Amino acid sequence: MPSEAIDPAWINWIRVSPKYITVQLIGWAIFTVVALAVLSVPLALLLTGVWPDFPAWLAWLLSVGTLVARIWIGLLIPRQVRAIGYAERDEDLLIRRGLFFQRVMVVPYGRMQYVDVAVGPLERAFGLCSVKLHTASPQTNASIPGVPAAEGARLREQLSDRGQARLAGL
Amino acid sequence: MTVPGSTGQDPPQGRGPDAPGDVLPASQGVPLTPDPTGIWHRVHPVSPLVRGWIAVAAIAYFFGRDWFETVFRGEEFWGLSGGRAVWTVLIVAGVVLLLLAGFFLSWWFTRYQVTDDHVRVNSGVLFRQHRQARLDRVQAIDVIQPLLARIFGLAELKFEVADAGESAVRLAYLPLASAQELRATILARAAGLTSAPGHAQEPVPEAPEQQILAVPGSRIVGAALLSGTTVFLVIMLIAAGLSTFVFDAAFGPALLLPAAFGVAAGYWSTFSTGYNFRAAVSPDGIRLRYGLLETRAQTVPPGRVQAVEIMQSPLWRFKGWYRMRVNVAGYGVSTENSGARTTLLPVGTQQEVMQMLALVLPDPGTEDPFTVFAAGLDGIADTEQNDGGASDDGFVTSPRRVRWLSWLTWRRNGFAVTGTALLARGGRLWRSLAVVPHERTQSIALHQGPLARRLRVADLRLHTTTGPVTPVVYQIDADTARRLFDEQASRAAAARRRSLPERWLEARSEATPDALSGPGSEPATGRPAGHQPQQEAQQPQQDGHHPEQESHHGG
Repeated sequence: MPSEAIDPAWINWIRVSPKYITVQLIGWAIFTVVALAVLSVPLALLLTGVWPDFPAWLAWLLSVGTLVARIWIGLLIPRQVRAIGYAERDEDLLIRRGLFFQRVMVVPYGRMQYVDVAVGPLERAFGLCSVKLHTASPQTNASIPGVPAAEGARLREQLSDRGQARLAGL
Repeated sequence: MTVPGSTGQDPPQGRGPDAPGDVLPASQGVPLTPDPTGIWHRVHPVSPLVRGWIAVAAIAYFFGRDWFETVFRGEEFWGLSGGRAVWTVLIVAGVVLLLLAGFFLSWWFTRYQVTDDHVRVNSGVLFRQHRQARLDRVQAIDVIQPLLARIFGLAELKFEVADAGESAVRLAYLPLASAQELRATILARAAGLTSAPGHAQEPVPEAPEQQILAVPGSRIVGAALLSGTTVFLVIMLIAAGLSTFVFDAAFGPALLLPAAFGVAAGYWSTFSTGYNFRAAVSPDGIRLRYGLLETRAQTVPPGRVQAVEIMQSPLWRFKGWYRMRVNVAGYGVSTENSGARTTLLPVGTQQEVMQMLALVLPDPGTEDPFTVFAAGLDGIADTEQNDGGASDDGFVTSPRRVRWLSWLTWRRNGFAVTGTALLARGGRLWRSLAVVPHERTQSIALHQGPLARRLRVADLRLHTTTGPVTPVVYQIDADTARRLFDEQASRAAAARRRSLPERWLEARSEATPDALSGPGSEPATGRPAGHQPQQEAQQPQQDGHHPEQESHHGG
């Protein structure tokens, strides 16, 4: 992926595992099926004649609109996952994400309060985990999803070590 | 049984690991000074009553109303007729006894201790709670006196650590003098001053302080009258007038009554929390005192302010007034006292704002701080400027190409960097300036949406601890933003390396061991009470810049 306008220069982003695309797609598929089933109830009732008074355009809009929106979101998932990246520098960790709404965040090691490694059932099936950094600020939303489990463990140890070495007060 | 003055009732458990320590009721003298043997103290015996006065009042109201009503109707009180008097008295006495017993137990089981490193509090009757907080982790100390406590001459002491939630330690209530002395003790220990052996039983004198400003009552009234509440009132009046006129119905009162309550509450909270506001500085940090019915004295030690924001609402511009709010890790965003706790200055002139800024940011990091900060408060860029976002008295603003997107604010939105802090200004009608010291930056993020990408601009957000201030630099040129992002990260790292130690007097007392180490440095025999503060009053100004200077040379 080419470097974006707001990325700092000379950064080699470490991308998250491509398997995370599959994880995201499975989640996306489940949600899409549920959303479609719920939002297609008016259309089903209309077509079966149970509720003939329901405005037809609204019923069609609900179903087709949901389908189009979900497909659009699904098509974006691979690119969104590929847009997630992190880079370890001497003093801090850089995290970027987002396609349309991009964000680059720098978290100094000395500012980390603790590091979370979380694994959900889908992620575990694919050998992935999520690493999340916490600082004293609740606005620091620094999570790296879709990291291979071994890399996640390495990252956690590395971050804790560096955090200890550069520990500062608040 | 080693408990002097006790009623012969041994506390069953909860003496904890420090059992050998004696338990002294706080009412016996003021034994709050260093206690190397680990003496436990109790809060003032009246405190449960002061805290639970609502229960007492409710019971009194419940019984009193019935009794009064029947008496005034000339009937015989039900409870006292037909031989039921005994039972009534017994029930009332039982309830009162239960209440008193509850009060007594909660008082009996609440004990606290201040050691060289920790403050410990044990509380709870059935569910015991032992809490311990490190003194050098203190973020702020409040001494609060609600109205009832003021009548009894009592005060509550709140000890805040950086969890942005409830107070770590709340001691309610102590005699006011004890609370102040305890605050001085805690702050001295937290600052890294250790009492010399042999003088351990000496009380730590209150750090000398110097008043910086006092907000006159008339200005508080003016600030309330010119606040957003008035705008709301005017809108409500117009709406009520229109509805009466148009619908020819008396909607007015129905609409106005709730609004009037809201407006009155708004005015009242502005007035009562800003009343008698005074700010002072001492080696222990910034002292704020305010309050009409409930008075508060807040102490924020040096280096605990995470971010400052200076705001001006449109009506205040006529008077040139500003409001200052701070992020302090221990305060969080609690709405307690309608945000008065996080208010550094409820209403002040530009000069007073500069004075308070000087306290928060002792080293502004520029040659001409007044110009830079004034530009942040009131400055606005010229219409004619180049496309990169021109420098306007030290501020870099949004480039000209975003003018159709944020036509009102593009000349205000901007940032300036000094040697010690980042200044983010914004807002045209509601002007604001956020100041974040470099060493207090938690993390930094660059944001860019699709529209911003077309315009080649980005937002820079600085993350600080929970609080009312969220510093954001809006819509600056993307290249500038990227450079600022990189530079700010390294500036913050460099500033962290030379920042003040958490025990803020430690560096200083190493340099001048006798200057401020208090009772340990001189024989404390019959020292006149007024003598000490005067003698040390000159110290803060001289010493105030020592750590910074040292650390700059060192870093």
